[in-house]
Parts: sequence; structure tokens; C-alpha cells
Amino acid sequence: MSLVYFKNVSKAYNGSLILDNVSFKIEPGEFVSLVGRSGVGKTTLLKMLIKEEAPTKGRIFFNEKDINKIKPTEVTLLRRKIGMVFQDFKLLTQKTAYENVAFAMEVAGYPENMIKKDAPELLKLVNLESRANNFPFQLSAGEKQRVVIARVLAQRPELILADEPTGDLDPINTWEIIKLITKINELGTAIILATHNKEVINTLNKRVISIDSGKIIRDEEEGRYLI
Amino acid sequence: MFVILKRIFRTAWQGLIRNNWLSIACISMLTISLMILGSILIFNNVSHNLIDVLEEKMDVSIYFNREVPEEDILKIRNELIGNDKIAKIEYVSQEEALKRFEEKSSQNQTIMKALEELGENPLVAFLSIKAKDTSYYSEIIEEVNNSSFKDKLMTVGLAENQRVIERINALSKGIKFGSFFIIIIATILSVLISFNTIRMAIYSLRGEIEIMKLVGASNWFIRGPFLLEGAIYGLTASVLAIVIFMPLVIWISPKLETFVSEISISSYFWSHFWFIFGIQTLFGIGLGMIAGFWAMNKYLKA
Ligand SMILES: Nc1ncnc2c1ncn2[C@@H]1O[C@H](COP(=O)(O)OP(=O)(O)O)[C@@H](O)[C@H]1O
Ligand SMILES: [Mg+2]
Repeated sequence: MSLVYFKNVSKAYNGSLILDNVSFKIEPGEFVSLVGRSGVGKTTLLKMLIKEEAPTKGRIFFNEKDINKIKPTEVTLLRRKIGMVFQDFKLLTQKTAYENVAFAMEVAGYPENMIKKDAPELLKLVNLESRANNFPFQLSAGEKQRVVIARVLAQRPELILADEPTGDLDPINTWEIIKLITKINELGTAIILATHNKEVINTLNKRVISIDSGKIIRDEEEGRYLI
Repeated sequence: MFVILKRIFRTAWQGLIRNNWLSIACISMLTISLMILGSILIFNNVSHNLIDVLEEKMDVSIYFNREVPEEDILKIRNELIGNDKIAKIEYVSQEEALKRFEEKSSQNQTIMKALEELGENPLVAFLSIKAKDTSYYSEIIEEVNNSSFKDKLMTVGLAENQRVIERINALSKGIKFGSFFIIIIATILSVLISFNTIRMAIYSLRGEIEIMKLVGASNWFIRGPFLLEGAIYGLTASVLAIVIFMPLVIWISPKLETFVSEISISSYFWSHFWFIFGIQTLFGIGLGMIAGFWAMNKYLKA
């Protein structure tokens, strides 16, 4: 049973084809890197998976369920099972680090006592317990991305989509985030990491899907960055 | 359910406090639009009072020939009282008429001297008639002119009064019409101000809304705090508007009373304080929530 199945998916924006008949499967707990030049359609592919964009053609399955057929009210459930980490963090600016983590749990309907127990633990996991009451503007880029990861974990997702999560980070912070993501994967959560950081890909030694001109040109276990 | 409400309240409260410049901007604009609304209520009352005052001053007097005895006039009065267009009839005798005239002209030496030289009362007795409605006056005049006692009348006063009556009628129609337009325009203005302010506030928070959606918040979970904030803005603005009105009313009311003594903004304001405040509050909360709901829908669509 696959966690993610893209079946002959094409995507066009205003008539120009970005993804052309793309198919692949991802198993539960897998770590997959998605590589390709900027503008090749990596973000678009991830957005289709959380139903922020619809494919022009083809079908996308999450847990064997066709996501194009789920009702608008069920989109929120889908998004709670798929955590997203973005290059630009997307933290709620009105809320503190702690509240951002707690919000993801409130949204999912977790009881208050569980939130009070889990949220500090998650912040500790990403080494930010001392910054719990800081607002995003008071945090460095690396710290913000760690809050995002704590927030994603709070959702207890089955899959995490990381879209250029280290794009705005210096090398030290980049490795900290990659280490965190690897650790989360080892604990059982599937990861799709979209990046064009060659060093990161070559060090990970995991499955790599390479895209070019709308097609998957390579899909290898223990892949290399070859574009 | 209780937990969800608590979370919505908490998020709303955080939004109010942490986004303080935005809250202040929204509350100020809502206050302005509620003050426009409050002014409409007061203006509407003043203009209707003005019409009442004008109509109250209106009457038609029928003057009797000098030789008609008092008992005949009183008989005619009893006859007219039965007419269902007439509300009130006052009998003013020759002596009474003279007394009133002297009071009115006491400042004017020439008139007083002329009266003295004349030696006898030059005035006649009359009936002062008030109609149940201003539109009846012309009919009453018509009926009097065709009555059995028309030979006993000096009809001159009637014709003159008719012109005044027509003018007052036209004036009160004008006031009614004009105030109707002012009310419509001011209401539209106040709705537009609040809608645009709230829309801009939501626009500045669209990024937050998008993130909440990405984290998997349901539309109601996102909407709830914003609607609550809108309601709190409305309530605060309503309290502010009424607080600003108080000194304003105290200041303006006596100035207006020097023009038209029968109209008192302050007595209306204080006797209808809770009515004005209630309407403002309802309007403020309703506007805050409806505008918030409407402005947010754009960002909540799938
Ligand atoms: N909403 C959109 N409307 C039109 N074109 C878009 C939209 N989003 C992305 N594109 C275009 O689709 C292409 C792929 O974009 P994207 O998926 O962001 O690439 P990547 O993440 O690989 O850099 C780009 O050429 C981009 O300009
Ligand atoms: Mg991208």
C-alpha cells in the first residue's frame, strides 16, 4: 500500500505545460528527495499533494484515496496528515513560538492538557525551549525553521513535505535542519524534500527523483544530484 | 465545543492586543461611522420635531363682523366642534383680542398712541381653529366659506392664512424629503466606511489566514476569532461614539435652541440615550461581523 501515488499527472499554468505525465509512488516511512532546476515544478508538485493546486490531468492518491475526489471540508484533514515546511517558514506572526506549535494542535482538536504537555516537549526537541515565548520576528532564520518543524511534528503527520527548507539558511543551520528531518524520518514519518542543494542530496544517500523539462528523468535509490 | 470557543476567544484576544495599530484603526473608523449613524437618529428626530413645531404654530382664524353677538359666535363654535377635521377651537373675544394686540405692540409707541386716540376697540372677535392634520386646513376654509354663517364673517383673514398654510405645508414636505435623502446617503456612507476598513484589515492579515489553512484549520476555526474581533470592535466603537456624543450634545444643543426654542437635542439625546446606544451597538457589532465575514470569504475559498 503506497502512501503517495502520482498517476500520469500533468500540470499546465495558462496553457504552458509544467509537469508532463509524471508517475511515481512513495511508500510509508520513505525519504525521497525531489531535485531539479529552479522553476521546474517542484513546488507545484507538492502543492498538488495538499490540494492547493489541482492537476490538469491524471490522478493523485494519498493513502489510496484520490485527493481530487475529497470534499472541501476534508481538505483540512488531509493537511493535518501532511505537514509542510517552506523556505519562507510561514509562521503565524501574531503568535509566539509556543503558540504556533500549540495552534497546529488546537486546529486538530487535541485536548488542552495534551497541548500543554506536547508543545514544550516539541520545542525542546528542536532545541528552542528557551525561545518559547518569542515572536517570529525575534527569531533567527534557523530558529524559525526549527519552530516550523516543531509545529509540523505537533500535527503527527504521516508525511512531511519540505520545500527548500534550507534555502534561506547558512551552512551550519542547513545541516541542523537536515539532521532534524533525517531524525524525524528515522522515527517513521515519510519525507519529501524538494531542494537544489547538491551537497545535501549527495550526503543523504537516499532516494532521489530528478525532474527536467516536465519529466522524471531519473529515479534512483541512493541517488546523486546530477543536473 | 467549549474548548473550541475558548480557543477562538483566546485567538481573538491575541489579535486585538498584538495587532494594536490595526485594532485602533478599525475602531476609529467604526466609531466615525457609528457617529454618523447616531447623528442620523438625532437629525431625524430634530427634523420631525421641526415639522411638529411648524404645524403646531399653524391655525386658521375666522373673524366675525363687529355686530355679531358673542352667543352667536359660541353657537357657531359648538357647531364646528362637531366637524371631525377640527381638533380644537379657541374663542377670542374683542376685549381679549385687544389685550393680546396691546401686549404684542407695547414696544411700538406709534401704534399705542393711535390706539389711545381711537378711544374704542378697533379689533373684532374671532375663532382660532386647529385642524387634526395640516392637510385639512384648505378644506376647513372651503367649508367655512360655504357655510350658513358666512354672512357674519370678515373673510379677509382666511385668504391670507391660506397662503401661509400652503407655504408651511410645502416646507414640511421639503424637510421630510430632504431628511430622507440625507439619512440614506449618511447610512450608505457609514456602511461603506466600515466595510472598507474591515476589508483592509482582513487584507493585511491574508498571509496569516493562508498559513492557518495550510496547517489544516477549518474555515470556522479561522473565521471565529475574526468575527469575534469584529464584534468587539463594534462594541468598543459604539461606546466611544456615545461618549464623544455627550459633550458634543451639551455644546451644540443650547446653540440650536437659540434659533428654534422648541427643539432640544439634549432632551431627545438623554431621554433616548439607551435607544441611540442600542441601535449604534447593534449596528456596530452587526457591521463588524458581516464585513469581517464577507471580507474573509475571499481568502477562505478552496
Ligand atoms: N500560480 C501560478 N500561475 C502561473 N504560473 C505558475 C504558478 N505557480 C508557478 N508557476 C510557474 O510554474 C513553474 C514551476 O514553478 P514551481 O513549481 O514554483 O517551480 P520550482 O518549485 O521547481 O522552482 C514556474 O515557471 C512558475 O513560474
Ligand atoms: Mg519552489
